[in-house]
Amino acid sequence: MRRALALAGLLAVVLPAVAAAAEESEEFDPSAEWTLHEWIPIHLGPIDMSINKAVAYLLLGTAVSIVIGIVLMRWRLGHTPGRRQTVGEAIYEMAQTQVAEQGLPTKAIPLWFPYVASLMIFIWVVNMLGFIPLPLSDEKVDIGGVELPTLAVFAATSTLSVTLALALMTCVFTHIEGIRANGVMRYLQSWIPDVPKAMLPMIIPLEILGQFMRLISLSVRLYANMLAGHMLILTFIGLIFLTNWLVFPLSVTAATVFYLFEVLIVVSIQAYIFAALSAIYIGSAIEPEH
Amino acid sequence: MLSLLAAADTSTVDAGKAIALALGIGLGSLGAGIGIGNIFGSMIQAVARQPELRGELQGIQWLGFALTEAVVFYGLIGGLLAYVLV
Repeated sequence: MRRALALAGLLAVVLPAVAAAAEESEEFDPSAEWTLHEWIPIHLGPIDMSINKAVAYLLLGTAVSIVIGIVLMRWRLGHTPGRRQTVGEAIYEMAQTQVAEQGLPTKAIPLWFPYVASLMIFIWVVNMLGFIPLPLSDEKVDIGGVELPTLAVFAATSTLSVTLALALMTCVFTHIEGIRANGVMRYLQSWIPDVPKAMLPMIIPLEILGQFMRLISLSVRLYANMLAGHMLILTFIGLIFLTNWLVFPLSVTAATVFYLFEVLIVVSIQAYIFAALSAIYIGSAIEPEH
Repeated sequence: MLSLLAAADTSTVDAGKAIALALGIGLGSLGAGIGIGNIFGSMIQAVARQPELRGELQGIQWLGFALTEAVVFYGLIGGLLAYVLV
C-alpha cells in the first residue's frame, strides 16, 4: 500500500512535468525527447565528445551504481545481515547463480563474474534512472524568476550509441577470450558446425554474419525496449495535446499502466538479459564444444 | 516526425506511411504475442507438473520472454527507419 502511494506520488510529479514541457512548445512531438543538445561542447577533431543529456544520465548512472555497490556490498558487513546487507546479498546471489553460472564455465567465473555483474547493475541503474523524473532536460521552466530545467524522464539506454558501446564491449571480450582460451585457428574453426562439405560455402558466411547479428541484436534489444517504453508513455500523455483534453482520463490511465509495466518488469528483465547473454556469449567462446 | 495523428490528415503520402507503420508493427506483434503466450503457457505446465523446478525454470522463462519480445522491437525499429527514410 505504501509503495502504491509512493508510485502514485511519483506519477503526480512526473505527469505535469511532461505536460508543462509540452505546453511550451507549439506542437507536441514525442521524439523531441531524443534530440540531444550540447551542454558543454567538446570536439576532438571529428570526434564529438560533448556533454549532453545522455552523457549526463550516464555519468549519474555510473555514480549511482558505484554507490549501490559500495553501500550494499562493501560497507560494514556483519555476520548477522541487516536489511541493507540482505538486499546486497540477494543481488550478488542473483548475479552469481542466474547470470554468471548459467553462461560461464566454472574456470572463467573468477575473471568474468565482475564484468557481467557490473553490467547488470549498471544497466539496471541507468534504465531505472530513466523512469525517475530528474531535473536534467533541455526544456526550461521559470520558477520565481529562476530558469530551472523541467523534470523529465529520459533513459541513456534509449539511445543506440550507449547500447551499441555496451554490446561492442561484450563482443570484443568474447573474441579476445575465445582466442586466448583456444588459440586463433581452433577458435575460428569452432565457428563452423559439423555439416557435409557441400554445405560449407553456404554455412560459413551465415556463421560469420551471425557473429555480427549478435552485436546488433544485443544492442537493439535494449535500445528498442527502452525507446518503445518511453515513446509509449509520452505518446499516451501527448494524446491530450494532439487531440482533445477530454481523452485525459484514458491517456493518463494507459500511460500509468505502461509506466508500471516498464518499471516493474522491463527494466529488470532487460538488465538481466543483457548480462546473461553477455555471459553466455563469453562462455560459449571459451568452451565452444559446450 | 512521429506525430502520427497529425500526419494522417496532411497528405496521402503521410497517411500511407502511417498506415504501413501501424500495420507492420501490428503484424509483428501478432507473432511475438503468440510466442510469449507459448512461453508462459509452457512455464505454467512445467511448474504444474514439477513445482520444485520453478526456480531453475524461471531464469530460462525470462530469457525466452525477452528474446521473443525483442522481435517486436526489431519490427518497430525497421518500421521507424522506413518511416523516416522513405
